[in-house]
Amino acid sequence: MSDPSTATHLVEDLPAAPRGSEASDNPTAPKKPTSGRELPAWLRVGMARYALIAVWVLMAAYYWLRVPDLFGTHATFSSIFGSQQVQVFLAMSVLVTSVAGEIDLSVASVMGITATAIPVLATQHHMPLLLACIVGVALAAVAGLINAFFVVIMNVSSFVVTLGMATLLMGVSQAISHTQVVSVQSAALNKISVQPVLGMPVSFYYGILLALVIAYVIAWTPLGRAVVFVGSNPEVARLAGIRVNRIRFGSYVVGSLLAGLAGLILVATVGGFDSSTSMTFLLPALAAVFLGTAVIQPGTFNAIGTMVAIYFLETGIFGLQLLGYSGWIQNVFYGAGLVVAVALAKVIRDRSTKAA
Amino acid sequence: MTTPRLEARHASKTYGATTVLHDAHLTVQPGEIHALVGQNGCGKSTLVKILTGYHAPDKGMELAVDGQPLSLPVQWRSAQAAGLAVVHQDLGLIGHLTVSENIGVGNFIRNRFTGKINWKRQAAAARETLERLQLDIDPLATVESLPAAHRAAVGIARALRGVVPGEGLLLLDEATRSLPRSELAHVHDLIRRVAASGTSVLMVSHSLEEVLTLTDKVTVLRDGRVVGDGVETKNLTEADLARLMLGKSVDAINRDKSGSSYGGVAASITGLQMGGHEPFDLDIREGEVVGITGLPGTGFEQLPYYLGGGRRSAGLVKTRRGQVDLSKTTVDAQMKIGISLVPERRIDEGLAVELSIRDNLALPNIGRKGKPWFVARNWQDSLADESIERFGIKTRGSHDLVRELSGGNQQKVLFAKWLSTDPDLLILHEPTQAVDVGARADLLSAICTTAAAGTGVLLISTEPTDLVETCDRVIVIHPGRKPIELRTDNPDDVLAAVYSAAESVPTPATVS
Repeated sequence: MSDPSTATHLVEDLPAAPRGSEASDNPTAPKKPTSGRELPAWLRVGMARYALIAVWVLMAAYYWLRVPDLFGTHATFSSIFGSQQVQVFLAMSVLVTSVAGEIDLSVASVMGITATAIPVLATQHHMPLLLACIVGVALAAVAGLINAFFVVIMNVSSFVVTLGMATLLMGVSQAISHTQVVSVQSAALNKISVQPVLGMPVSFYYGILLALVIAYVIAWTPLGRAVVFVGSNPEVARLAGIRVNRIRFGSYVVGSLLAGLAGLILVATVGGFDSSTSMTFLLPALAAVFLGTAVIQPGTFNAIGTMVAIYFLETGIFGLQLLGYSGWIQNVFYGAGLVVAVALAKVIRDRSTKAA
Repeated sequence: MTTPRLEARHASKTYGATTVLHDAHLTVQPGEIHALVGQNGCGKSTLVKILTGYHAPDKGMELAVDGQPLSLPVQWRSAQAAGLAVVHQDLGLIGHLTVSENIGVGNFIRNRFTGKINWKRQAAAARETLERLQLDIDPLATVESLPAAHRAAVGIARALRGVVPGEGLLLLDEATRSLPRSELAHVHDLIRRVAASGTSVLMVSHSLEEVLTLTDKVTVLRDGRVVGDGVETKNLTEADLARLMLGKSVDAINRDKSGSSYGGVAASITGLQMGGHEPFDLDIREGEVVGITGLPGTGFEQLPYYLGGGRRSAGLVKTRRGQVDLSKTTVDAQMKIGISLVPERRIDEGLAVELSIRDNLALPNIGRKGKPWFVARNWQDSLADESIERFGIKTRGSHDLVRELSGGNQQKVLFAKWLSTDPDLLILHEPTQAVDVGARADLLSAICTTAAAGTGVLLISTEPTDLVETCDRVIVIHPGRKPIELRTDNPDDVLAAVYSAAESVPTPATVS
């Protein structure tokens, strides 16, 4: 038994009351905060996307004003932009695994084993330099394979596996280098990294090229789209016909390979390596990747954002050093940067309703 | 006039420029079962979240429990002290722990000095709570070993743990949603017992049938406004309620089931093994919608995964594009022969909610339409825009994150995503689960349109009304018996076949 009149009555009558009260509210509060607070859409999107760049510019301007004769020079510019190639490769290594939803804490040690193995093989074992480089980078890939085997095939927690791998590789590096600084003298090797091109070392362009390639692959290729879905929801990806484990496996291997290339560039640039310092490279790389999620494509891991973050962090530290703060400032800045970055990225992600 | 158990007045919630809840009122009397209904996005979850203290309401709201005003935004501890208890849709139970632990969590009975939990007394307290609700559940059993109805009961028992019998208000936020039909009755009995003791029940539900059979009054929200304020349910029909929720009437789906429009065989399944079932054969014609149902938990729910390639079984599937052995197939292989699966759980299996509508829609096609080195954006944008237009997805644009959409609109995105692969056979698993009446009608008519365009559709569902409204024939599967084939417009026939099969009584229905 239905009573349609009740229903119709309710439908038509009740909304009238709130409408009335709205009208009576308006005169007392003529300008609700909504109109004042609301910014045009393009401005809000722009602010979310480029806030970090704006802060970067403001920071640079501040340093310029404080120490114009030190900061506003070509030397400063090339120190900031020409010194971060190793960080770029390492951060891209972290990025590749992060996009696929994985975490690899061993990248710094993987870089360390390559940077240690190349000089040791070339000098102590008299291996041809080219072969030493190939073996060094191959070692990194093997480390990635082992990580991938335990994480993807054996299904062990990636934190445990990669942290274990990080410590293990550090031990191996110390063993083969006898806990000493190892070095290799080679003009040819040096040249592939520091050869100046248009006023910058050539490896600066490697970094830019790598970031562009990764950005392109993620956004514009089937492989990249698959990786993004694996990172976002593996089950959805699986039911869409993507081989999820293959992609997770690949992300560890490619990540370690990039870490190995970071090691190669490090040796080529500096000419040697102290294996005990390798873990100090980890946090800046993680900080850059996470801070990168707050810019360009807010809320997502993105290569260009990571590049911006690397140079942002370096500018901050370089300027502070020019202002007279000593070495400790680096750790404080990176540590705080990591936490602030992750918090900021989370806020932006929670608030964003659109994909960038 | 007695003092209402719960009275909320002038509840509004504004985000930036959008008002999602506009001056809502809600009054629940003592001992009453009160339903809160509305389409997805109507503001009912916002209202619930204000009551549970998750959202802060706009200024001007008043909230009182038993006449005592509560301060706003709601502090959950003080609301609890006033007698509010809540059970969320996922129940919040930990499967591998015991009933006693699940009931005790957050408020364990501890030794005053050592802080050690007194398990014996805790179990006794849990038993007491369960007995009070006349529930015969062993407090030392693990929750995962219980049937679904008992799990829901444990969730309710935990919520009511601190509530004085006969007082307070139990808020069920779609807590009955995931219950199989067969177990729903037990939970409804429990809810009636709770209400009979004098405790009020406020329940959010998508099931109009549940609202009409179980509850005394219903408050209906539409577009953030109350359009039905505590309407007595005894004089309402489902159509009245749907009209209140939508502001317009919904027509039942009417399909031409004469079979005149069928083409050739779209897909044929032979010798499919489902655990405990006879090998299963089925031909689906082009333009035909075949429904498959059975008793929940008997294994027929696995069918979509076997056919979609998500899990392996034995058997063969053949379409015009090729043939696949189900014992070594993959999702990719099934897609290649033109079989697409719209999976059941849209958040877990269907959509990446943190990505945009466009990205989600494009996913199954990137391999096919893109080149290994380049996936263009044009077709992705046009696919997204067409889908939004065609299915009436309510969104501001294709770049919106799926997370921002209501359940019904998410389901439409999921449907569009798999339809975009242009399949020969489209498999749908519980496509109307937890969507509102409006979206349900849209989805079912989209299924009919898809079939009319020449696709074979397999609908695996436990909703008899969905099955009879859309399907040309419904196949009821039960372990150890021949499948029963029905051609009917009456949902009761389907239910009868499902349950009679369970009781192993031969049915006079048309047997294939």
